[in-house]
Amino acid sequence: MRAEHRGRAARLAVLSALVAVAGCHRPRTSVASKGPLRGGTLVYATDREPICLDPHVAGDMPQVFVAEQYLDRLVSMDRDGHIRPWLASSWDISPDGRSYTFHLRHDVSFTDGTPLTAEAVRANLDQMRDPHTQSTTAGGYIRQYVGTDVLDAHTAVVHLSRPYAAFLEVLAQGFLGIESPRALARSRDDNCQSPVGSGPFRIVRWDHQSDIVFARNPDYHRAPPTARHQGPAYLDGIVWKFIPEPQVRFASLQAGELDVIDNLPPEDELPAAKNPELRLLVADRPGNPTHGMLDTRRAPFNDIRVREAFVCSADIDGALSSVFFGRYRRAGGPLSPTTPFYSPDFEHAKDYDPLRADRLLDEAGWRRGPDGIRERHGVRLVVEIPERASLAPADRTLWEQVQATARQTGFDVRLEPMSDTQANQRVADWDDDVALGYWNTNTADVLRIVFGSAFLGRTGIGGHHQNNSGFSDPAYDRIMEAALETRDAARRRVLYHQAQAIISSRYLQITTYPQTTRLAIRSDVHGVRIEPSLGVTSLYDAWLSR
Amino acid sequence: MSQSLLAGRRWGDARQGRPAWLLPLVADPGAMLAACFLVWLVATAMAPALFTARDPIAIAPRAAFLPPDWAHPFGTDASGRDILARIIWGTRSSLLIGVLSTGLALGVAIVIGTFGALGGRLAERCVARLLEVLFSFPTLILSLLFAPSLGSGTRSLVLAVGIGSIAGYGRLVFGQMRSVREAGYVEAARVLGHPAWRTICVQIVPNAMRPLLVTATMGVGQTIVWASTLSFLGLGAPPPAAEWGTMLVMGRDYIAQAWWLTFFPGLFIVLTSLSTTVLGRALQRTLAAGGR
Amino acid sequence: MNAGVRTRRLASGLLGRAAGGGSVLFVSASITFIALHIMPGDPVMAMLGGPTADPSPAAIAAARHEYGLDRPLAVQYGLYLWRLLHGDLGVSFSQHMRVAAVLREQAGPTIVLTLSALAASWIVALLSVLVTTRRNRWLDGAAASVETVGASLPHFWLGIVLLWVFAFRLQWLPPAGNSLAALILPTVSLAIPLGGFIGRVTRDSFAAALDQPFVLSARTRGLSDWQVRVLHVLRHAVLPGLGLSAWAVAALLGNAVVVETIFSRRGIGRQLFEAVSMQDMPLASGIVLFVTCLYVIASLLIEMLSALIDPRLQGARR
Repeated sequence: MRAEHRGRAARLAVLSALVAVAGCHRPRTSVASKGPLRGGTLVYATDREPICLDPHVAGDMPQVFVAEQYLDRLVSMDRDGHIRPWLASSWDISPDGRSYTFHLRHDVSFTDGTPLTAEAVRANLDQMRDPHTQSTTAGGYIRQYVGTDVLDAHTAVVHLSRPYAAFLEVLAQGFLGIESPRALARSRDDNCQSPVGSGPFRIVRWDHQSDIVFARNPDYHRAPPTARHQGPAYLDGIVWKFIPEPQVRFASLQAGELDVIDNLPPEDELPAAKNPELRLLVADRPGNPTHGMLDTRRAPFNDIRVREAFVCSADIDGALSSVFFGRYRRAGGPLSPTTPFYSPDFEHAKDYDPLRADRLLDEAGWRRGPDGIRERHGVRLVVEIPERASLAPADRTLWEQVQATARQTGFDVRLEPMSDTQANQRVADWDDDVALGYWNTNTADVLRIVFGSAFLGRTGIGGHHQNNSGFSDPAYDRIMEAALETRDAARRRVLYHQAQAIISSRYLQITTYPQTTRLAIRSDVHGVRIEPSLGVTSLYDAWLSR
Repeated sequence: MSQSLLAGRRWGDARQGRPAWLLPLVADPGAMLAACFLVWLVATAMAPALFTARDPIAIAPRAAFLPPDWAHPFGTDASGRDILARIIWGTRSSLLIGVLSTGLALGVAIVIGTFGALGGRLAERCVARLLEVLFSFPTLILSLLFAPSLGSGTRSLVLAVGIGSIAGYGRLVFGQMRSVREAGYVEAARVLGHPAWRTICVQIVPNAMRPLLVTATMGVGQTIVWASTLSFLGLGAPPPAAEWGTMLVMGRDYIAQAWWLTFFPGLFIVLTSLSTTVLGRALQRTLAAGGR
Repeated sequence: MNAGVRTRRLASGLLGRAAGGGSVLFVSASITFIALHIMPGDPVMAMLGGPTADPSPAAIAAARHEYGLDRPLAVQYGLYLWRLLHGDLGVSFSQHMRVAAVLREQAGPTIVLTLSALAASWIVALLSVLVTTRRNRWLDGAAASVETVGASLPHFWLGIVLLWVFAFRLQWLPPAGNSLAALILPTVSLAIPLGGFIGRVTRDSFAAALDQPFVLSARTRGLSDWQVRVLHVLRHAVLPGLGLSAWAVAALLGNAVVVETIFSRRGIGRQLFEAVSMQDMPLASGIVLFVTCLYVIASLLIEMLSALIDPRLQGARR
């Protein structure tokens, strides 16, 4: 507090001196008009530390945030959902949709000196597919991958087993960034510690539970079209810190020890907005919004009336106004608003309507018992919700409020906190009624993954299934397959609209709010962007005005 | 624990006509306060509805995060629930956890300690080794290792905290048993020909247990603190339980905006722990002064 | 007794201790193995990515085989003990690093925190006891009450309150980090309850020692009150507290879990909690064994210190 006052007093003194000297009142020129300054190290803090820096291994959000700074992808996606060139300067797609020929740039090399060739592309895709890599996200997105042919040093032909219209969208995600083949040839665990890419920064070292240090890549000149400048980054380096405690993270930002923080907790948004030294940057992430997925394979949610009643018993708006301080938007339907082919027609299907819920439950034969909980044939209306330990406090309170309002309608909601591992196991065993989750991805094909019958089965010994609702409808599957087989945007829009209509009318999930990236940035830091494909922070255009 | 803990101060002669155990309490205002507080806690645990008219689990999201005022003496929480009401309703589970886990630990410790002290040389060595190992395990880590297997909820908190506390009581029991078995009156009983089990039940166990009463009283407060620490690590009673530890943990994230969410549950935990400690020490002084 | 006998007694004492320490480690390792295996949930799914993961069956099988999770339980236990005997702590599956490397990085801050908290609590306790015991009834009672209240404070509540007051509101100290200034608040949160506890124990034995006849004879010899307190009575008084210090080290290491979480400090306490929730057996057992080792070393050192202070304890078997 004292340092800030001193700083402010000093600035005031200088300003008044300038005014006195100049003799006329000049509005304080905005620093940004001086143009980006080179140099400086930006300190960024996030809450979760990745388990491995190579985003091909496993594949969770913390990894892709880090990957954005040191990896480039084959293609990029802009704000309107169009695919633009990046490492691949152009591409051709065969008429049957199963072969993609990528023409790579000739002037790219990784920070370890290896040049980018078609061979490197093959090495990357093969590594993602290799079971030893344990690639759950990237490998999962390219299940249709068969192999790559190297026509010449800069032409690669990728073969798929089936047409896959979302292939380019998926390649634009950070999870499928292209790494140096020489680095990939090392053991998986070695590559986890210090992967090598061709991006604007390179990884210098990783101090576990503390931070990652990046340094500028001086030879960088292949920014995607979505970036604001070309050439090397402005910053000399980045310190990427891990501070899991939300209050500590925010306090450190206010004290000036950090420049940018992400995952700004809801309770700190108002103080951050009021603080003149901070700026907020918020962007929606595409995909299936944060939700509670109803398990339709067992009672009571095998009855659509009970599902609808439960959805109508949840006062999500009340929760958003209390524990989210009114700063988070309500999710409308099964797709997040920034997902390509999102349709706003389903936004009010899930409004809070306890009277309708009561009526539906009465129709379905559930009568109120002596303690207010409904019963049918001697069985209580119980809803079990496993809660992962990593669930944010605001979400916990949200579900507590759902528990309270649902109780008024006669549901006995049991919230069961447990470790992440146990919660995943319960969901994998279909031993839950509501599974809490979200799915960030830049394609509407997420609806196939999350609701398609191909994703119901266990993916292995004790493996879990992406489709947690148990929904299985051949007509729906056909729509999703058709949407992958055509690259005509108008046709895809029609098909995805139908899909959203089906999902919404079947009451398969309670959607709460879209996933967002929320950054709080100090006012002397400029150019921090949230890139369009997954809503990940990009520091390539960032610069410091101090 | 050392002998000096048991020595304590000396009090004057017991006044005529008053029961000896009452004297230290009356003369010691701290102990009186502690006793009153604990009595009040027990009363609220048994009949919470008498002390507050509000529903502890009814939410009012539009009245969330209200600061303390006349309508809500301790403010409201993130879902608009009255914090004083939740603290009152939460007394039952908090006290239950404290008493039951102490009882569990004490019970197991008595069995182990008796077996070790009276079961022969081999048993004595085994038990000594086992207790040493358990003692070297920090209580929290032991509870942490077993808590996920026990699930969440009051019952598993009791088990987790109880398991963690066995070592402390075990050593005490073991030590006490060993010293008592060498005592004069035990020798006398043996010489007189009393059967072994009678000696154990009538002479050894009661004499060994007296210092335990003090430790157990203080232990109840300690276990409540331990339980709230485990709630802090996410292993507490599930929502919407109004358990003090869980309330404290949920309030932690809002400490900058709404300090009352964390402060009041924490205050009650501290007061309970303090009261049991003060009462325990008063008991200690009674036992030391009164004696048998 | 002559030097030869004393050396032999010391050596046999040390050997006995070493054997004792070994068995303690063995039981520790076994308890950890049991605890982590009775936990429900599949560790393989935990390590293969968060809720948006889509592991192929081959990836799952490969992970399972790599970490030996597809063998029968008894075989896993045997392998586990065998590797530990060879000093091989294994590879942490949640961190993709060797456990020894994780310990090397993270153990330092926790040890620093534990030692500084122990030192701080002893300093506070001794100051309070030396200055106020039996001086003045009111002062004595007040100090004793402060100690009792301190001992009853849950250290995590204390940590949260201190963090809020000193780091967020007053901003006198940094809220996080690995600097010396960032060590102050965590140390204080741990030291106040422990200091209160040690203070009470030491105060009782100090008061009892002041009643002993040797004190009277020391006073009649003309020693000042201070000299009596520090030179003579203190040696007797610290023994019970010292005995508790070994337990205190174990307790501090356990409490580090919570304090490291609140203050976002690096350390094996926080690491252990994450390892347990990910069911990462090698890392969890590595940390538990390490903590047990520290306890064994600490109790050894404390026994030697006690023996130094009170020669009666030398050579005596407990």
